[in-house]
Amino acid sequence: MSHFTYLAAALTPLNLLLAFAGVLAGIVIGALPGLSATMAVAVLVPFTFTMDPASGLIVLGAIYTGAIYGGSYSAILVNTPGTPSAIATTFDGFPMAKRGDGALAVTLSTIASVTGGLVGALMLMFLAPPLAQVALAFGPPEYFWLAVFGLTLISALSVGNLLKGLIGACFGLLLSMVGVAVIGADVRFTFGSHVLLGGIDIVSGLIGLYCVPVLIDLVATKDPHLKVADSTTGFRLKEALAITMGQKVNLIRSSIIGTVVGILPGAGGSVASLVSYSEARRASKHPERFGTGEPAGIIATESANNGTVGGGFIPTLVLGIPGTPPDAVILGALLVQGIKIGPALFTAQSSIVYTFIFGLLIGTILMLPIGLMVGRYAYKSIIAIPKAALVPTIAFMTVIGSFAIHNNLNDSAVMLGLGVIGWVLNRAGFAPSPIVLGLVLGQIAEQGFVQSYLIGNAQKNVMGMFFGRPISLVIIAFAALTLFYPFIVQAIGAARARANRRPTWSWRAPMAHHPESQVSRLPHDPAGTTVALLFIVLAAVLIRETETMSPLGSVFPITISVAMIVAAAILILRNVMIGLRRKPPAPDESASTPAERGSTPRRLLFLLAMAAWIGLIPVLGFFVASLLAFFAIMAIATHEQVSVKELALLVVFGVAILTGFYLLMAHVLLIPMPRGLFF
Amino acid sequence: MKLKALLASAVFAFAAATGVAVAQDYPSKPVNYIIPFNAGGESDIAARLQQPVWEKITGKPLVIQYMAGAGGAQAWSQLNGLEADGYTIMGTNLPHIILQPMAQNVGYKTDDISNVYFFQYTPDAIIVPKNSQFKTLKDLIDYAKANPGIVTVSGSGTNSANDVAQTRFDKLAGVTTTYIPFSGTSPSTAAVLGGQVMAGFSYTTAAITQGDAMRVLAVAADKRVPSFPDVPTFKELGYDMVGGAYRGVAVPKSTPEEVKKQLSDVLDKINHDPDFIKKMEDGGFVVINVPYDQVPDFMAKRKAEYEAAAKDMGIAKK
Repeated sequence: MSHFTYLAAALTPLNLLLAFAGVLAGIVIGALPGLSATMAVAVLVPFTFTMDPASGLIVLGAIYTGAIYGGSYSAILVNTPGTPSAIATTFDGFPMAKRGDGALAVTLSTIASVTGGLVGALMLMFLAPPLAQVALAFGPPEYFWLAVFGLTLISALSVGNLLKGLIGACFGLLLSMVGVAVIGADVRFTFGSHVLLGGIDIVSGLIGLYCVPVLIDLVATKDPHLKVADSTTGFRLKEALAITMGQKVNLIRSSIIGTVVGILPGAGGSVASLVSYSEARRASKHPERFGTGEPAGIIATESANNGTVGGGFIPTLVLGIPGTPPDAVILGALLVQGIKIGPALFTAQSSIVYTFIFGLLIGTILMLPIGLMVGRYAYKSIIAIPKAALVPTIAFMTVIGSFAIHNNLNDSAVMLGLGVIGWVLNRAGFAPSPIVLGLVLGQIAEQGFVQSYLIGNAQKNVMGMFFGRPISLVIIAFAALTLFYPFIVQAIGAARARANRRPTWSWRAPMAHHPESQVSRLPHDPAGTTVALLFIVLAAVLIRETETMSPLGSVFPITISVAMIVAAAILILRNVMIGLRRKPPAPDESASTPAERGSTPRRLLFLLAMAAWIGLIPVLGFFVASLLAFFAIMAIATHEQVSVKELALLVVFGVAILTGFYLLMAHVLLIPMPRGLFF
Repeated sequence: MKLKALLASAVFAFAAATGVAVAQDYPSKPVNYIIPFNAGGESDIAARLQQPVWEKITGKPLVIQYMAGAGGAQAWSQLNGLEADGYTIMGTNLPHIILQPMAQNVGYKTDDISNVYFFQYTPDAIIVPKNSQFKTLKDLIDYAKANPGIVTVSGSGTNSANDVAQTRFDKLAGVTTTYIPFSGTSPSTAAVLGGQVMAGFSYTTAAITQGDAMRVLAVAADKRVPSFPDVPTFKELGYDMVGGAYRGVAVPKSTPEEVKKQLSDVLDKINHDPDFIKKMEDGGFVVINVPYDQVPDFMAKRKAEYEAAAKDMGIAKK
């Protein structure tokens, strides 16, 4: 049967309406960190049982694709990826928003997401059965090398500051090992508390490391959150299209990388966007601009992560093996509806499958108008909302977001703790991104490594397992290229850099608004030295902890701890050596960064309020505790006199936000809310 | 101050009102059903199949919620702190709730979990890719005997049902295979399909979606599973191995006895619904009926089984 019959079936008014609603709901949920695509899809599954299977699938697909795209909003506007897929979007998105190009960044992300989504869906439609074999060709060694490839991005992200990047990555890798190990079932680094048994969730790590530092500095100063550009009107669609046309190759390459990585069960959108970001940077004529607000970076990550949507459905529909967690939920929904999945699906029930794929295509196209509207609205509100309202609202999002991952307040506590650590480390020049990369890729790397070792050992061919497989070799080659490319570029550009006295590499400053930690912070660096010492102590403690673990469970932590000690020792040595030399003038710019200025009491009060918030929820109940903390933080973030009218407005705003989210979480998303004395 | 008192008394009155309702007619309002895993897994799918039948029988909604983390331990360690009125119920899984507390401190003990009903299990199944040299279980065992340690067997996690199955199988068949743990059923199945490992221990539910792409050599059920009529059981082949992952429903410990019985009755009715049974069997589940009064006996038997396996796996109490 021709594909057009299915297109007609998908194009009914009801289905279009459902796709529209699905995309919109998905964007909103995706934009809120902690509320995930999986959650949205799972909540909607029971509703789809009352629809016919194709319509049900269209809604699920539309929500999913919308949510992956929506993650870019918070990445761009608040420096917090709404979903792990959008981690790399913060690298350039937030710097763009800071300098007043937020509207442009959102529009670029929309165009890229739509393109990536279309490429993924088209590949799903025409190439699904052969591409499904890719999922099977990837064994443990390939996953290991893929994770290593992702980690090599650190070298590109921290040129000039490589040691600190490496130490940060080791720290992130160690964080990823906390909890019960999948392989060996050792309980690692929980220090006897069962709070950490489940490990450190990636999402609470993301929210903590990226968002909390922004909030801490936001309360401390009067500066607006984002700079308002002179020409904030409109979508800047023309400009965005022109930029995109200049990035055609990047766009298509990233979409394909996204689709292919999406096919791999266990890799997912975060790996896809990191890999394509790294490739885009390597292929770019201006790699030095990446991380400082380079549009090409957003195009790469956003096209890749939406490519994973179509890609993930390939093994799901062809093999019955879900490519991503939301795919698993959709697969379950299919089973409950009595649809037989597996290799026969494409032939036996092609009408449902193709209607679904067309639904996905329609949903993706609808993302363009809906995304531009919502994105513009989101950008405008972020700019328009006064700081006194913005800070508590974002703080509220961090608390509910980290809570909602597992309906567990421990995750919120971990989020806040990591946020404080991230802020301190950032001031000592340790950027959050290497830590996040370690946290995200740690499990994939470790499991791939240990599984490869076990299989290789059984077959008496460990070396062959790691270095004798064609796909592995290709990935190793790309990883090596990424690792050494910046050094080559740096060597070539060194002369030029010296000529105009400006660093050519300057990767994104840790928080982009701390330029002082971007430059390998000149001599002495007492903060960096102190932190490095602390890391050596930490690594030593962790190595001691591994004594009681099984060999399987301890090999990776020991390796990483040793690497951390070595890197930290070199850093200290270097700092001491430089310190002995003559002291060049201190960089004058650091005096004016928000991290150096601003009110420390406000920072501390803010953290106190956050801690009290999380602590009081089980006592007072979610709503009441949030109400108190919300207004406390509002007071802390208020720098000017507020008139009675403004105050009334703020109160109404706060109550509305809190009530709205409470209802959304408790009654729409059906999250069990903690109750205390009240509710 | 006055307002607070008023609010508190209103809350109290509300609680009292609902408390009264409990004793009479269960359920008289929506019931929250917490699944300690992520959506999309076997536990979720089975709950999704129970949901419509529950609503048909009781006329009240069954609201499925998720509280995933630490292989289920996150939720189970919180179970007894939840409201004990029968309107919060939670899925439980074997061997998880037996092996987890045995291996380490996970914040609960096996006896803390008040199981009300066990309604299904997914039998262990040993799977190979369709182009495998192993056509029968005998082929695999013969090869493993000739080449100790060479046969790699994938499964989901360490100290899991798959891990138990592989350990028991090795012992019963007198072979040594190498167990390769993966982070879930999906990656473990993918490893079998892609030939990354030579065989895998999985569940019938996972094997069913693969169709012709893989071969099931044997199933650890009492009798042949309806969805795999041509696949022999281990028992038929001479290995006394019946097991898998059992799933039940538990409530906070202090829930009134009467409510526990009523809940067990509702679940029992669901388990006898012909449409429910059919859908469960199509999905590869095996429906079992273990009502409240039989739970202690059932748990004692399973405990003995898993404790023996745990000894072989070396996870006896530390």
